[in-house]
Amino acid sequence: MQKRFPLNKIVGYLFVIASALIMLVPFLTTVFNSLKTYKQYMQFPPEWLPNPAQWSNYTTVWEQANFSSYTINSLIVAILSVIGALLSSSMIAFAFARLRFPFRDTLFMIVLGTMMIPGIVTIVPQFIIFKNLGLLDTFAPLWILEWLGQPFAIFLMRQAFLNIPKDYEEAAKLDGCNPFQIYWRVFLPMCKPSLATLAVFTFMGKWNEILAPVIYLISDENFTLPIGILSLSGQYKTEDQLLVAGALISLIPILIVFLFAEKYFVEGSKTSGLK
Amino acid sequence: MLELSTKQQEKPAVKKRKWLDSEGRWGLLMVSPYLIHFLVFVVGTSVASLYFSFSDYDILNPPKWTGLDNYEKLFEDPLFYRSLWNTVYFTILYVPAKTFLALLLAVALNQKLKGLKFFRMVHFLPVISSWTVIAYVADAVFNQRIGFANAFLTKLGIAPQNWLIDEFWVIPVLVLIAIWKSVGYMMIIFLAGLQGISSDMYEAASIDGANAWQKFWRVTVPMISGTTFLVVILNTIYSFQNFEQIFVMTGGSTEAGSTGGANNASLVLMLFMFRQAFSFFKMGYASAIAWVLFLILLAITLIQFKLQKKWVHYD
Repeated sequence: MQKRFPLNKIVGYLFVIASALIMLVPFLTTVFNSLKTYKQYMQFPPEWLPNPAQWSNYTTVWEQANFSSYTINSLIVAILSVIGALLSSSMIAFAFARLRFPFRDTLFMIVLGTMMIPGIVTIVPQFIIFKNLGLLDTFAPLWILEWLGQPFAIFLMRQAFLNIPKDYEEAAKLDGCNPFQIYWRVFLPMCKPSLATLAVFTFMGKWNEILAPVIYLISDENFTLPIGILSLSGQYKTEDQLLVAGALISLIPILIVFLFAEKYFVEGSKTSGLK
Repeated sequence: MLELSTKQQEKPAVKKRKWLDSEGRWGLLMVSPYLIHFLVFVVGTSVASLYFSFSDYDILNPPKWTGLDNYEKLFEDPLFYRSLWNTVYFTILYVPAKTFLALLLAVALNQKLKGLKFFRMVHFLPVISSWTVIAYVADAVFNQRIGFANAFLTKLGIAPQNWLIDEFWVIPVLVLIAIWKSVGYMMIIFLAGLQGISSDMYEAASIDGANAWQKFWRVTVPMISGTTFLVVILNTIYSFQNFEQIFVMTGGSTEAGSTGGANNASLVLMLFMFRQAFSFFKMGYASAIAWVLFLILLAITLIQFKLQKKWVHYD
């Protein structure tokens, strides 16, 4: 039995390889599309390989309209959100994991509850709040809630803090640390993997977000990449193959984060299945 | 007597904690950002939304109480029923197919295949991409002019299709793309679940003479059912609130698509609500749609929790 290559492994390989090709070939085709000339891009039937490969599509689209400011805007929103999530959700999670305070358990049930409850009913009133605060067409509505603790982030960090032995807390208390110092100096440095998971998930969510930017951003120079590219495609001023190149440029930062931090993406995905 | 006295001694020891001691104050201080979040952005917005749903509100003028008007209008609005059906249809196609495929992929990868990490990364590539990127990737296949699907059909002598506009094709094709985008994410959740199944179960099944197929249905499927339940719940919630994909692919930028596909064939509830709120500024009507959508989703989730006792296996 041991010597034979088991049949179910062969079936497994075939299935997974076929699936991987289904994942990869459309991406590869998109990369080829991004290198075509307009004429070749529009021709029917389509050719798979670009001929000639027009690499200048990437520089041309970068110089189009506000493309570079879309990129900077996306970076600002994503980075402010990541910082907010790391600081606030971890602090809130520490209190839930390690401190005793009134209504703690009720409040944590609420955190878990809001994780399951869809946010549809809050969209309109949230828009009105930010409008009344004069924050339309600013980035604030896109990152401020991250600074007020998000349920998934709180849940993730609380799990990490719960796993730290009580001895560390006791020792820090004897040294005269207050709870905030215990959190900041002792617990936070011990939870770097969870912080990394939280950072990559928040970055991915914000980098790719479409609904909130569509609602809150009005002027073109404030657009983030996903909606900036959409707006370019709606104007019919930019050739289609350039937009493909633009879309792929918007993929690069998140792709780099993914290649270097793949294991944190996997960890985060697993956690969302732990509830 | 002795017992009683120890009890009395214990009681004050517990009671000595003041309702709000130093630790309690620190705790409340440290969760205070979430308290604001909850009070303003969960409770406050929900109450406001409920009030708007009973009002006529165009943002410029203060909301005017109109009672059940919005709901009455909604239940007579053919677009509501159209978008409700489209949402349900999307969900029926999406959730079971994606759950099953994700489980199959996870089972295949779980038998210690070489290159696990590579396969995992490949399947995660669409997960990390924005819907804007995916729209162009999907274009490469399903665009009526430049897509390879039509090139292939033409070669076979079949008429090219208008995949993302055609009334018949639009939802199935959107579902196919949505499954393709996120099956890798669910696969990872399943992989984590599969690693929790003890190999004893499989060995016992082998001794009983079970083949791979029988092991899958008799051991894997029941043992993983807790994870399956979660995946089904998450995907149903996602599917009912699917906005970004539909907006980007059929309803976003172009005028022709602004009704949500030909004959509203891809107008889903979220897009319907979004239009009422942010294109027509009927905030009251949009809030009523949001509440109806919320209640439908809540009912479905509760039913799923009730049904889970019938098929989810806990050990």
